[in-house]
Amino acid sequence: MKRKIAAIATATAAALIFAGCASTPAAPVDEGGKDISLWLNGGDTPDALRDFLKTEYAEATGGTLTIEEQAWGDALAKLTTALPDAENTPDVVEIGNTWSPTFTNAGAFTDISDLYSEFGGDKLLPSFVEVGEVDGAQFALPYYFGSRYAFYRKDIWKDAGLEVPTTLAEFNTAAAELKTDKQSGFYIGGEDWRNGVSWIFANGGDLATKDGDTWKSTLADPKTIEGLTQLQTLFTDASLAPVTEADSTPWVNINDNESTGKPEAATIIAPGWAHWSIGDLAPDPADETKQIATWNDDVFGTFVLPGADGSPAPVFAGGSNIAISAASKNQASSKELMKIIFSPEYQKLLGENGLGPANLDYASSLGDDQFATALIESASNSKLTPAAPGWAAVEGSGLLEEFFGKVNGGGDIPTLAAEYDTKIDELING
Amino acid sequence: MSVSTAPPVIDKPGRNAKPGRPVPDSATYRRRKLRSPYLLLIPAVGILLVGLGYPVIWQIITSMQEYGLQQQFGKPAPFVLFDNYIELATKGSLWVVVGKSILFCLVTAIATLAVGLGLALLMNAIAKGPRLVLQVALLLAWSMPVVAAMTVWIWLFDRRRGAINYLLDAIPGVETNRFNWLESPLTFFIVASIIVIWMSVPFVAFSAYAGLTQVSEEVMEAAQLDGAGAWQRFWGIILPMIRPVIAIVFLLQIIWDLRVFTQITMLQDAGSKSSEFDLLGTYIYKLGTKSQDFGMASAVSILVLAITIALSWFYIRSLLKEDEK
Repeated sequence: MKRKIAAIATATAAALIFAGCASTPAAPVDEGGKDISLWLNGGDTPDALRDFLKTEYAEATGGTLTIEEQAWGDALAKLTTALPDAENTPDVVEIGNTWSPTFTNAGAFTDISDLYSEFGGDKLLPSFVEVGEVDGAQFALPYYFGSRYAFYRKDIWKDAGLEVPTTLAEFNTAAAELKTDKQSGFYIGGEDWRNGVSWIFANGGDLATKDGDTWKSTLADPKTIEGLTQLQTLFTDASLAPVTEADSTPWVNINDNESTGKPEAATIIAPGWAHWSIGDLAPDPADETKQIATWNDDVFGTFVLPGADGSPAPVFAGGSNIAISAASKNQASSKELMKIIFSPEYQKLLGENGLGPANLDYASSLGDDQFATALIESASNSKLTPAAPGWAAVEGSGLLEEFFGKVNGGGDIPTLAAEYDTKIDELING
Repeated sequence: MSVSTAPPVIDKPGRNAKPGRPVPDSATYRRRKLRSPYLLLIPAVGILLVGLGYPVIWQIITSMQEYGLQQQFGKPAPFVLFDNYIELATKGSLWVVVGKSILFCLVTAIATLAVGLGLALLMNAIAKGPRLVLQVALLLAWSMPVVAAMTVWIWLFDRRRGAINYLLDAIPGVETNRFNWLESPLTFFIVASIIVIWMSVPFVAFSAYAGLTQVSEEVMEAAQLDGAGAWQRFWGIILPMIRPVIAIVFLLQIIWDLRVFTQITMLQDAGSKSSEFDLLGTYIYKLGTKSQDFGMASAVSILVLAITIALSWFYIRSLLKEDEK
């Protein structure tokens, strides 16, 4: 009897093995369905825009558009598992610009080169188009761009007798001067590489470059090391942030702390949309548990991070691309939604809500307040992360957070750079 | 297969029959009776094999392939047999994480056992009212969803506004104002250990208490009359009597604490995602889902399975021996 059970167990196992080996992905079949789903990351796209998409889509096709929001922290894992699966894939998906090269190279998206000129052609933000391109064919097009600029406390800077800096060197000095025992001159977390990389870019360095056909991590490049040295000094001299902190909620550090009445820092650097959360805090009349920040121009101000020579520093360009999943069963309906997204009305709505529109023709809809000016100015010189096939894996592994943390913790930069170059080289080519 | 409907015929042993030897009729009856329960078991075993076996077999196969993001989207996965394992064996960072995980698991499991057993003895000694309060408190702690509990714990240990820093600071001589618990690996794992112990103690306490109710009052009284002290009674009578319960509970704690994931990952989200704060669970997650190297992650998973079996081998063997008795 025991032998029989053993025989049955082996047969079951063998059947499972063969079943597992034989799986092949189904070719995308357009079933012509009208109900589609859109995945958006984080809270970046406001409700007004989401409602616009749903209404317009229903009018255009008669189908229902379901929008699902994915938290930025989980999005990478969810995309990896959902995109290949025809049953569970979102039809249209927002993809962070740093992940775009990885997923495009893996074949996750449908070729939409035929729609490229209809959507704006070369008016679409070129650097973002590039990260969604393979061999001249477009798979993911720009959705919106953001940028980072500095927010500062006018009252504290005035008290210290400091003016808005015009070069990066001036900024580094001013930030160090402003530091006291209880307040950072400039708040930057030790593991915050998305903001810290501005110092690398400003000194002419880069995270990785393409050497022929392969990508190589260039942390050990002399210019990169110079930028990192500057950052290490800045962190020690100007910031009281923990060396293990990344860039999650910068604005809490410039608003007045509830218990001490003073802010944690005199200056921060944050993505443009952070300005909605900066200002004088007061309880929300609609919901007691929440607070609203109202911008106070006497107390808070903005400036673009200056580069070494006075022009805007190359900061990390935030933003996302948008693409149609290759495994989606509703290709035609998805293209209809894309047409709505690239329509003039939606592009203007993006601008009006502080998100840089993909089609630069409509950049004026951003307005001309200090935030729009700062956004456009800082975006003009902004840079993206390397468009390498394995970049999403590099970001997911946390190696950059680790590296920056150790650098800002006071480690020897050339040794650390060489060590992490090797680790990143293993992942960067996919 | 037909089972004979006639009642079993067990002849009285005749003059020549040796005592104890079964008569042919009853022997055939016994063999037929033994087969059908096994047949009825086959569907259940089959479902278990598919449900539990499929992921394990998939992992064994994937651990022998190079399986990355490209393979997720349809590219065929090349078989590299044991290359992944060889790469792992030479990867220093993996063995550091394994060492940390085993240390964390042993320290936490032993502490959980000590606290749980202590609480069980307490439950046994107090009156009904306080015992009920204690049991309800333990149940509430145990049934709280992990993520909700973790959120509150992270608030408690928050460096700027956490209650723990405030309370410790109130003790003269202790300076914990704005102390960042999640900044260094040592304090990070101390916090993780405290949280895991808090979450695991109720299970141990209840199981041990159930075992303690089996210890007979008379034996304890007799021992006391004979002059045995409290510690001698505990060590000499109570522990041996509840040994099977303790053994199983300790085994489970070791397995769970080796695989701990949710608590570590949420603490990393609040602190740093650097690999110094990794245990095996988060290491595999980072390797697989985040860095998209599924082949390597599967290989590490099989390694964790092997370590779990190795750690629990001793206990499983002694449990099986107990059964055979």
